[in-house]
Amino acid sequence: MIEFSNVTKYYDKDVVLKDVTFSIEKGELAYITGPSGAGKTTLLKLIYCAEVPDKGQLVVAGSDVNKIKQKEIPYLRRKVGIVFQDFRLLFNKTVYENVALALRIHYMPSKEIKDDVTAVLKEVQLSHKANIYPQHLSGGEQQRVVIARAMVSKPTVLLADEPTGNLDADTSKTIINLFREINARGTTVLIATHNHDLFHGTGRRVFFLKDNQIEKETIG
Amino acid sequence: MKVFNYSFQTVFKSLWLEKWINLLTILSISIGLSLVTTFIMMSLNMESVLQRWAKNFGMVVYLTETISQEEEDSLKNQLAEDIDIIEVKYISKDTALEELRKTLGANTLIFEGLNENPLPSSFELKLKSDLLSPEIIINKAAKIEKMSGVEEVQYGEKWLSSLYTISKTMKTGSIVIGGAVFIAITFITYSTIKIFFYRRKEEIETLKLLGATRSFIRMPFLLEGLIIGLLGGIISSLAIFSIYSFTSLKVIEFLPSVKLFMTSIPFEIYIAVPLAGTLVSVIGSIIAVGKIRY
Ligand SMILES: Nc1ncnc2c1ncn2[C@@H]1O[C@H](COP(=O)(O)OP(=O)(O)OP(=O)(O)O)[C@@H](O)[C@H]1O
Ligand SMILES: [Mg+2]
Repeated sequence: MIEFSNVTKYYDKDVVLKDVTFSIEKGELAYITGPSGAGKTTLLKLIYCAEVPDKGQLVVAGSDVNKIKQKEIPYLRRKVGIVFQDFRLLFNKTVYENVALALRIHYMPSKEIKDDVTAVLKEVQLSHKANIYPQHLSGGEQQRVVIARAMVSKPTVLLADEPTGNLDADTSKTIINLFREINARGTTVLIATHNHDLFHGTGRRVFFLKDNQIEKETIG
Repeated sequence: MKVFNYSFQTVFKSLWLEKWINLLTILSISIGLSLVTTFIMMSLNMESVLQRWAKNFGMVVYLTETISQEEEDSLKNQLAEDIDIIEVKYISKDTALEELRKTLGANTLIFEGLNENPLPSSFELKLKSDLLSPEIIINKAAKIEKMSGVEEVQYGEKWLSSLYTISKTMKTGSIVIGGAVFIAITFITYSTIKIFFYRRKEEIETLKLLGATRSFIRMPFLLEGLIIGLLGGIISSLAIFSIYSFTSLKVIEFLPSVKLFMTSIPFEIYIAVPLAGTLVSVIGSIIAVGKIRY
């Protein structure tokens, strides 16, 4: 589903990722970990074409991102749900509208949007906050809105960047369970986190990012 | 319609939230359009005044003192053959003097010292009444003046040529003002839409990351430009209509001669103005949104 082959990425002259090679299988749930600044976010950005690799090949859901045309990018992104590290919620729209936006871009009829958004808000336990603006939510609640928005369009791949950064251990567990469920429905899930507790004992593959490279791959 | 649903919602929200900027933009557009339309109408009016004036137009061809009967006949034939001239009337020296006497009436004293008739003989020409443009008249007069036996051609050329110059200036003026106003409207919509675009920059970035297509992102801005231009145009049409109606009703009451200078505004103008506003506004919006890169 996601295939990095010798991918190198520079920011100006600074190398962030050097000859990174690894792949995530279809239907897999995997983790990427590493210290702050290791390049986890950058790696995810390459997957959803927010950055372009300087060298190497990267194939996402069948598309070669080096060769992708500008106008094809939105269609690739629709296959990829993203839980952004910085949330990217719109503060002039309600929780409901923030989540609905991911469906509106597909020109989905309002009635179907309503069904899907209501269902997904229930799943992240935010039904009662549907008409509230994000700035009135706690960090953990905002985090769950972002997850709801990423999963509502039922993407092929779900990327989660530090999805439990603001959460206590219990809530983190709930969130991780949510990802498991999404994964069980067939979505490929890739979670980037520096929190080792998240993958400890899960039996999933974990890629360790260090010194610009995948230092090792273990089973969590 | 599905495609426009979200765009329309976004647009109406933006129209309301930014009502002052929008209102100002709409008003500027309608003032600009009204200005152009007024100018165009004025030059069209001028044109029709000129044309009407030319219709009842006569020319007097004064003949030289030394003209022979032969020359006179050939001149008369030449004039009669011209398809633009419908009547050629010969006024002899005596007739001219007779007419002058009649006109002056009691003041015949001044003729007493004359032992020779100082008035030249002449041809009075009536020109064809339909569609004689000043250009044709000026050219015609110049042609006749070159014929042998002709001393001078009079046709109120001072009037005609100054009216003609005014009309030409107004035509050029309409084009220049029209161009300037259209550029101005493009720029006004451009800046307004650009402001909205920058205000929604964050949202647009997020939309792009969620997988929105270019047309999905552009659509609300183009629609907003379209609505702004259309409203500006409609207001302008309404204003032109009211001002025109007011002028025809009230001003003519006091100044009946104004009627001479007014033609009715063709109905198409009321449709053309909003269309022009819309078109130019949409162009401004397209430039404002620019190329969207992922
Ligand atoms: N747009 C950018 N321009 C220049 N340098 C950047 C940019 N984005 C990230 N970097 C740099 O690249 C390196 C990797 O950043 P990245 O955000 O990928 O790290 P991370 O692993 O996600 O860190 P964290 O755990 O803190 O989120 C950092 O040194 C960062 O300063
Ligand atoms: Mg990061």
